[in-house]
Amino acid sequence: MQSDRMEREEQMKLNNLKKTLVGLASAAMLVLGGSGSVAAQDDWKPSGAVNFVLHTKPGGGVDVFTRTLAKSLEPLIGQSIVVVNAPGGGGATQMAKVRAAAPDGLTLGVNTVTHFTGMLTNLRGTFSPDDFEWIALAQEDPILFFVAKNSELDSITDLVELARANGGEVNIGGFGPVGSMQNIGMTMLEQQAGVKFNWVAFESTPDIIAAVLGGHVDVGVSNLGPALSFFEADRLKGLGVLGEKRLSTLPDMQTFGEQGYDVDTSWIQVRGVFGPKGMPLDLQKQIAHAIHTAMQADGYQKYARSAGVEDSDYGPVEYADFVQRLTRLAEEQLVAAGLVNN
Amino acid sequence: MFENLAIGFAAFGDPMVWVALVFGAFAGYLIGAIPGLGPSLGVALLIPFTYGMDPVVSIVGLVALYAAAEYGGAITAVLINSPGTAAAVATAWDGYPLTQQGRAGEALSVSIISSGIGIFVSTALLILTAVPLSEFALRFGPGEYFALALVGLSLVAGLSDGSPLKGAVSMGIGLSLATIGLDAQTGVPRFTGGNPEFFEGLPLVPVLLGLYALSEVLFMIEDGPTEKKKSTPVAGIIALPVKTLLGLKTVILRSSVLGYVIGIIPGAGASIASFVSYAFSRRLSKTPERFGKGSLEGVASSEAANNSAVAGALAPLLALGIPGSPTTAVMIGALMVQGIQPGPLLFTRSPEIPYTVFASLWVGVPIMVLIGLAGARIWARVANIPRAAIAAIVAGICFVGAYSSETTMFPVHVMVACGLMGYVLRKLQFPLAPIILAMVLGEMMETNFRRALISAKGDWAIFYTSPLTMLLFTVAVLAFVLPGLAALRARKARAREV
Repeated sequence: MQSDRMEREEQMKLNNLKKTLVGLASAAMLVLGGSGSVAAQDDWKPSGAVNFVLHTKPGGGVDVFTRTLAKSLEPLIGQSIVVVNAPGGGGATQMAKVRAAAPDGLTLGVNTVTHFTGMLTNLRGTFSPDDFEWIALAQEDPILFFVAKNSELDSITDLVELARANGGEVNIGGFGPVGSMQNIGMTMLEQQAGVKFNWVAFESTPDIIAAVLGGHVDVGVSNLGPALSFFEADRLKGLGVLGEKRLSTLPDMQTFGEQGYDVDTSWIQVRGVFGPKGMPLDLQKQIAHAIHTAMQADGYQKYARSAGVEDSDYGPVEYADFVQRLTRLAEEQLVAAGLVNN
Repeated sequence: MFENLAIGFAAFGDPMVWVALVFGAFAGYLIGAIPGLGPSLGVALLIPFTYGMDPVVSIVGLVALYAAAEYGGAITAVLINSPGTAAAVATAWDGYPLTQQGRAGEALSVSIISSGIGIFVSTALLILTAVPLSEFALRFGPGEYFALALVGLSLVAGLSDGSPLKGAVSMGIGLSLATIGLDAQTGVPRFTGGNPEFFEGLPLVPVLLGLYALSEVLFMIEDGPTEKKKSTPVAGIIALPVKTLLGLKTVILRSSVLGYVIGIIPGAGASIASFVSYAFSRRLSKTPERFGKGSLEGVASSEAANNSAVAGALAPLLALGIPGSPTTAVMIGALMVQGIQPGPLLFTRSPEIPYTVFASLWVGVPIMVLIGLAGARIWARVANIPRAAIAAIVAGICFVGAYSSETTMFPVHVMVACGLMGYVLRKLQFPLAPIILAMVLGEMMETNFRRALISAKGDWAIFYTSPLTMLLFTVAVLAFVLPGLAALRARKARAREV
C-alpha cells in the first residue's frame, strides 16, 4: 500500500518533470521568438505550492478562469496550484488574506474591476491599491449593450433617441448596484449622449439575459461570454460594445465610438493577478511572464475563445499603470454620481 | 426525442459513466449529510476532478452528486434536527419528532423513497416539458417574483402552531435579518456596523445550524441524561409496511409535480419548493393535526418536493443556459471547463449532454435509493447514542459545519449567536420556521419589489396589470384567509357541541 503510493508519487513527479521540461521548452521558444530580452533563468521557480485566492465562490467566471489557467501554469512552474475560494465582504475576505501573506509569490489573488470600485466605496479606508502589487493583466472583457431580437432598437443611437424622447424611461438591466462597473459604463454613455437611463440592478448575468428575453427590461448589459450563445441562437441583438475595436466574434456590432459616442474605452472588465505589497519587481516580472506563457496553451486558448475574452500581455509595470488609470476614472465617475465625496 | 433518449442511455455502455454515477451518488449522499456542505459546494468541490474527464462522464457524476446531496440533507434533519440545507428544514419539522418517538428508521426510509420517486417523476416531466416551461418561466419579471415570494410567506404563515402573534414576530425577525448586508440596488451597507464581513448578508447555513442544532444541544444539556426512547430496529428492506407507502402516494406525486414546477422558476429553488408543498400537503391532509408532531406525510412531501426541484432547476439550465438554482449556476462553470457553453443551442448542438442528464437521473434513482435504504439501517442506530454523546457530537458538527462553509471564523460567530437566539426564542415558545422562511424569501421579496418599482418608474400598476401577478396574489390571499376561516368554523362547531 505504502510502496504503491510512493510509486505513484514518483510517477507523478516524473510526469511533472516531463511537463515542466515541455513547458520550459515552449516558454524558451516563446521568449526567443519574442523580445529576446528575458533569459531562461528568469523563469518563475516558486519554492512550494502557489495559492490563488479568489473573492468568489467556485463555478463563476473568475473561478473558471483561475482553474483553467492553473491547469497550464502548473506544469510550467513545476509546483501545484491551490485555488482558494474566499468569498465574502465584497472582496474584503480575499484582500485581507492576500495583504497578510508573505511577499514571496506563493500567495496571489485574482482581481476584477470590482476591487477598484470597492476600494473607492465600501472598502474605502480598509484597503487601497497601494496595499498590493499589481502583477499581471490576463483578460480584457469589454461590456456590451444588447436587446431582445424583436426589439425596435438597433443601435446605441436608437437607444439614446428613445431615452431623449420619453424622458429617460428606458430600463437598462446590468450587474451590480449603482456604482458598479457596468453601471459606471452606462453613466459614461449618459454623459456623452446627454440623456438619462433607468438602471435596474441584477445579481447575476443569466438573470439579466432572462429579463431581457422576457421583456422585463428594455436593454441588458453584460460581457460577451455569458451572452454569446444567445447571440448565436439569434435571440439577442447587439446595440454596441464599449471598446477600442469591434468584437471578433460579433463583427457586425459597432463600437460606441463608431456610433459617435466618445466613451473612454479603458473602462473594461479585467481579470488580473495581484499580490501583497513588497514583492521584488523581478519576481513580479517572472510571475507575469509565466502567466502569459501559460495562457498560450491550447486548453487555455480554447476556453478563452469560447468565453469571448481578449488576452492581455500587461506585466507589472503596465498593469500598475493601468490600475492607476482605471482607479482615477472610477473615482471621477463615482464622485460625479455622488457616491464618493472627494 | 426517443432517438435522443437512446443516445442518452447508450452513454451507459461506457463503464466510466457507471463509475461516475455511483461515485457521484455516494459522495453526494455523504456531502449532503454533513451540515455546512451542501449540493452547490459539493458540485464545486468535484469540478476540479472533472477536468480530465470526458464531458459526458463528468456531467453524469455532477448530476448524480447534486441529486444525492439534495437528499443527504434530510439525514441530519431527521436524526439530530440539524437541516444541512434550507431545503431540508421542512423535513426536520416531522422527521425529528419521529426520531424522538423511536421511528427514525421509518422517517429515513420514507424520506429516501419519496426523494427517489420525486426525481423519477420530475425527470419524466423534465423530458416532456423542459423547453416550453423554461420559455414560460421567462415571463416571470420582478412583479411576479415578488408575488411568488409572498405566496411562499403566506402559505407558511399558518404552519406554526400556537400564537399567531408569536409567529408574526418570528417572521419579522427573519425579514429584519434578511436586510443585513449591502443593499442590492444602491450598494449602501445596511446594519453592518462598518464590518465588511456583513456585506454579503448573514450566511444561511450557519444561521440554520445555530437556530436548530445548537439550540437543540442547549436543550439537551438542560434536560440532562434522561431516559429516551430507543429507536425501533429497522426490519425488512424498507422499514415500513408497503401499505403505509401506498397511503403516501398522492402526497408524493403531488409534491413531486409541485417541486418540479417551482424548481423551474429561476431563483425559487428547492427550499421554497419544499416549504410550499409541505404547506399544501398539510392543508389537504386528512390528519393535519399530526403535521409538526411526526407525520410521515410531512416528511414525504418535503423530500419529494426538494428532490424534484433538482430536475426543475436543470430545466432552464439545459433549455436556455439560465441556472434555476445556485448549484446549477456552479454547473455552468463545470460545463464551460469542458468547452460546452450551456445556452439555447445546447439541444441542437450537443444533444448528448441533456439526454445523458435525463438518462442518468433515471438510472441514478435506484442506486441512490439503495444507498439511502442501506444507510437508513445504520443511521437509525445513531438515534440510540446516549444523549450526552449526541449533544457533544452535534455541537462539534455545528462548529465544523459553520467553519467549513466559508473556512473563516465569521460564520462560526454567526452560528453561536443564532444558537443562543434560537434557545431563547424556543424557551419563549416563538416558532423558528418563520424566521428561516422569511430569511430565504425576504431578500427575494425586497429585491424584486424594488426592482419592479424602479423599472416601472414608481408606478404601482406593475403589481396589478400582469395576470400572472394577480393570480399569484390571489393564491397568497387565499392561503392566508382560508385557514383563518377554517379555524373560525372549527371554533363555532366546538361551540355548538358544548
